[in-house]
Amino acid sequence: MIHWNKKILFVGLLALTITVRADDTLDAATQARINAFEKGPATIDVSKYPQGIQDNYAIFSQKCTQCHKLSRPINSDYALPDEWSRYVKRMMRKPGSGIDSSDGKKIYEFLTYDSSVRKKALLDDKLAKLTPEEKAADEAKIKEVHDKYDGK
Amino acid sequence: MIASDDNKKSCRPPEAEPTASGGSVPIWIFILTLVLLFFGAVYFDRHSGWFNKLVYTPFQSADELAIYQPKSGEAAMIAHGKAVYESVCGTCHGSDGLGKPDQVPPLAGSEWVSKDIPSLVRVPQLGLNGPIKVAGKDWNLAMAPMGAGLSDADLAGVLTYIRQSWGNRSSTVSTDDVKAARAAISGNAPSTEQLAKMTPMERGHALFQKYGCFQCHGQDGKGGVTNTNAKTAEQVPSLIYVADGYTKDELIAFVSRGERVIPRMNPNGPEPPHFMPKWGPIINTNELSDIADFLFSLKPKGSDVGF
Repeated sequence: MIHWNKKILFVGLLALTITVRADDTLDAATQARINAFEKGPATIDVSKYPQGIQDNYAIFSQKCTQCHKLSRPINSDYALPDEWSRYVKRMMRKPGSGIDSSDGKKIYEFLTYDSSVRKKALLDDKLAKLTPEEKAADEAKIKEVHDKYDGK
Repeated sequence: MIASDDNKKSCRPPEAEPTASGGSVPIWIFILTLVLLFFGAVYFDRHSGWFNKLVYTPFQSADELAIYQPKSGEAAMIAHGKAVYESVCGTCHGSDGLGKPDQVPPLAGSEWVSKDIPSLVRVPQLGLNGPIKVAGKDWNLAMAPMGAGLSDADLAGVLTYIRQSWGNRSSTVSTDDVKAARAAISGNAPSTEQLAKMTPMERGHALFQKYGCFQCHGQDGKGGVTNTNAKTAEQVPSLIYVADGYTKDELIAFVSRGERVIPRMNPNGPEPPHFMPKWGPIINTNELSDIADFLFSLKPKGSDVGF
């Protein structure tokens, strides 16, 4: 029983240490969200997407994995063009990101296109919650990307 | 009768001697034990008392209890200063005042801590940036003005605490000392009345100066101080493009929360010396909103990237 006690004590302390460490970096809710995203699939089947979007997927896979797992954006709850535009720019503007504005645009176009197909339900749900002006603006941005790549 | 009884007995099989068999303990008992032990471990750890009788037994006498009461005057000030120190300064300079090798200079044995009070107040009030010699060693780093948001009494407590701890033996610092030193260095900083008349953007600029954001992010957020082994090209990021990457709410949330752990360029290399402090407890919500307005105004014209 003594041995068990020590082991459990160890596990308990370990769990506490981890909790305390996590506090240092991000708030628990954000960290939990990121962990949940990262547990999901790490690739997307892009074989049915237009060639241009498939090319952009390659850039997305290469650039974004410099700093975090690809499963994080793939399974994230972002879907609106407005959200992707902001997050891609945020990452792109980090010193040393190695993402220039032309790569950034390709990554944004891939994520917007992919969200309009693979995350359609989530996207529609988010669009429905916007004001009519915001909704029209986001829909125009989605259409722009589809017009540029579809059928090519 | 006896004979027939005997007959009956002989018809029954002989009674077996009871023996212990190898039964198994139900699994839930193990699970319950584990859960209880885990709870016990967490409980002990939380209460930090372990098995020390001093922790769990009441005080033996009134005299003993008195030892633990906060003292008035100087001792109370030092006790208060220690608490503020641990939450604001201790993250970097350490509970032992030794700092961190090559990242944070020590306060223990530092000649700067023992200097005249006006000079000492300048450091937490204005921050510090550039080459400096501390206890015979050269440093070239930057510190944000972590004390700018502290009250005169809090700052006096902290300074008294560091001047009288870890072998440092210098005079105490009173609330009035801090007040006078602050008045002397406020120089051309805008008064409360002037601040109230400014636009949010102008006020944000004044606050950007007051809280020393420029110490790490550069004048007007144009970027940065070197941050050795930080993944962001070993720089503290510039702020001129935050308008692209954040909504106002997101930016305020980020500044409030800070970023304690900076990703490393080389995972096996040293911890980058600079990190984003948690400003939430230091800068109030209205001020954060003004600072966000100022930062959004920094975006260069014509820098839209077309998506």
